[in-house]
Amino acid sequence: MQRFRFNGLLLAAVLLIPVLPAQAQEMDHSMHMHHGHDMSAGDSLAWRMAPMDGMTMPMMPEMMDDVPDTGAFLPGFGMDVSMLPEARPSEIIDMANGDTLRMDASMVRRTINGREYVMMAYGGMYPGPLIRADRGAKVVVEFTNNIEMPTTVHWHGLRLDNAFDGIPGLTQDPVETGETFTYELKFPDTGMYWYHPHMREDVQQDLGLYGNMLVDPTEEDYYAPVNREVPLILDDLLVDANGLFPYGEEAPTHALMGRFGNVMMVNGITDYSLDIEAGEVVRFYLTNVANTRTFNVNFGGARIKVIADDVSKLEREQFVSSVIIAPAERYIVDVYFDDEGTYEITNAVQAIDHFRGTFVPETHQLGTISASGSASADHADAFAEARTNEDTIADIDGFRRYFDKAPDHNLRLTIETKDLHPMTMRMMEVDTLYFPPIEWNEGMPMMNWLSTGDEAKWTLLDEDTGKKSMEINWQWEVGDVVKIRVFNDPASFHPMNHPFHVHGQRFVVTHIDGVPNRNMGWKDTVIIPVGSTIDILVDVTNPGKWMAHCHIAEHLHAGMMLGFEVRDPSMPNAGR
Amino acid sequence: MRFLLPRIGFLLILALAVMALPARDVDSAASEADTTCAEGVSPDYYEIELVTTRKVSGARLAKGVGEVTYVQSPFGISLSEDGSYLVNIDVSMSNVKLADGKQLVAWVTTPQLDEISSLGALDENLQVSGQTDFNKFLLVITLEPAGEEPGTMWTGPVVSRGMSRSGLMHTMAGHGPFETEPCAVYGY
Ligand SMILES: [Cu+2]
Repeated sequence: MQRFRFNGLLLAAVLLIPVLPAQAQEMDHSMHMHHGHDMSAGDSLAWRMAPMDGMTMPMMPEMMDDVPDTGAFLPGFGMDVSMLPEARPSEIIDMANGDTLRMDASMVRRTINGREYVMMAYGGMYPGPLIRADRGAKVVVEFTNNIEMPTTVHWHGLRLDNAFDGIPGLTQDPVETGETFTYELKFPDTGMYWYHPHMREDVQQDLGLYGNMLVDPTEEDYYAPVNREVPLILDDLLVDANGLFPYGEEAPTHALMGRFGNVMMVNGITDYSLDIEAGEVVRFYLTNVANTRTFNVNFGGARIKVIADDVSKLEREQFVSSVIIAPAERYIVDVYFDDEGTYEITNAVQAIDHFRGTFVPETHQLGTISASGSASADHADAFAEARTNEDTIADIDGFRRYFDKAPDHNLRLTIETKDLHPMTMRMMEVDTLYFPPIEWNEGMPMMNWLSTGDEAKWTLLDEDTGKKSMEINWQWEVGDVVKIRVFNDPASFHPMNHPFHVHGQRFVVTHIDGVPNRNMGWKDTVIIPVGSTIDILVDVTNPGKWMAHCHIAEHLHAGMMLGFEVRDPSMPNAGR
Repeated sequence: MRFLLPRIGFLLILALAVMALPARDVDSAASEADTTCAEGVSPDYYEIELVTTRKVSGARLAKGVGEVTYVQSPFGISLSEDGSYLVNIDVSMSNVKLADGKQLVAWVTTPQLDEISSLGALDENLQVSGQTDFNKFLLVITLEPAGEEPGTMWTGPVVSRGMSRSGLMHTMAGHGPFETEPCAVYGY
């Protein structure tokens, strides 16, 4: 498994070099430029100082001239943006059992805040096409790679056949430019899922390669009635006056905290709006596709009821004041807009100002909902009731006897650092008396940007064996119920929250810091806050070679992944 | 440690840490500079150690702790609408002999004392639980007349107090790499 990773990275690097424009290949660390440089319009491939939105920290002279230890990289740099097709908004593709969808990934023109960018799209759309199918359906996606990087597609949250999980070197070879790979999808679980590349997510996913899959229930009355259903994909993008802020060529930059964007987007646009009638109950399907940002979503004070988690409904619907959603997580929420008026969708967080040592309330406008007139169908009564979902409870019942079992695996989340910038080391040594449970904002843009996986190696440490990250290859069997205790070590060098994702299986969170979870849903990704110990119970159903990893794109590439193998005793050769 | 911290900054931080943290935490905080992970680190990173004021008879050697956990939500952690962490605080005290007619009451307050709220009176096991969404706060245990509902502010002497972990986050102006940055420029 380790070999795969090494080869994968190397391969990516080798393949990228020939397609980069001459300017990129000539880039060296003396070519970077800083703010104030006279730039013509259009994206620039030169390293320049990381955007410092809202920072109070004075610039440290020692850091002014530093750039990351990797070249600057923008896919499609030098392309004539006007020659690229303009991406169009996402469309819903209804798929019946046995249907085939032909979909590519390609370079597109996107216009964001009035500025044109060379970006990427699935099926020419932003977000990618919303694939909609009934639970139990099987469909085929014939995928063609028309971007200038090798890629794969991972179908996040689906318990599909291992061969189609989209992991380069493990389940398939990278899909090279011009090549096609046929994915067979199946949808055993109702809910909202999403697809994205599993190579250089920090670049490809960030540039627009993401889309939803909505799996409809086949049961009557599975959900309460609502007036409408709306997918909301949350994302952010990092730009400055010179265009898209470049990515790392050989490896992702921003290895410490992940790449926070400074432009917030809902469904790929910055001015998302929705017109509804007053009195409507709207069902929102939320997906967070950001590289690292965790959102705290409000709907302008409208009441919110959480219906479902990543892979199932909750045991009990629950009213909440906001929706906290980490990268790769999904939540289905019903929101009641009782009055006429305008409701702002916002991300409201307490950012940290590391220089002043203070919490700073930060609110990002994500979109606007305008309610007028009055809804033809009144679902207020159904909304007011928080349903108990007996089907979910029954589904989880068979696992309750395992809730308090001793962990089968103990995982410690930590980081090993090497040759970090001296100033970063000094800063971090000073700023280590308090780490927040979640990093809601980019609190240290320069230091974060300068770090790559060479300096900051995020590590999953198996405390039972001492093995680290891809040295780990847990062996399970179909039918196992595996408890993993994940501890996010606050004593590691600059700890951070990690959204932990398990491929190909589903799990429930049984305990949070030792406190039993009293309202579960099946999940595939869970927030592990700093200092916390989270117990998850994995329902091992799906044979094959899989991964579990942090879903912060830059952490994944900085090593934060492990392997596990599920064997099916009834099929001795399966998964081998 | 490869890069020595400027001495004044380091001493200041150390002093702060000593004032507010139990000994084992000082060790872990100071050793975070080396990048290996220490063994035996408490998972209770945000736990609040209550330090006695030694001023109240019967409680001069009082021990206490405020355990901090997230209020249950479907999201694992809990936030108030403005994004502040919403936490449970489970307070327990020991080594206290209460005089007749007295009870202990737990409070949370912002560091500026401009907002105070009561978590309630400690029960016969010297325990009480409550919630707060203050970003930085002090946990304060005071001696109050028995049987009375806690008001908006304590009346009796402070028995013990401790600070939330977030209270340790302090300005870098004038410290460390910013030694030459005068705090006054930034208004503090
Ligand atoms: Cu991570």
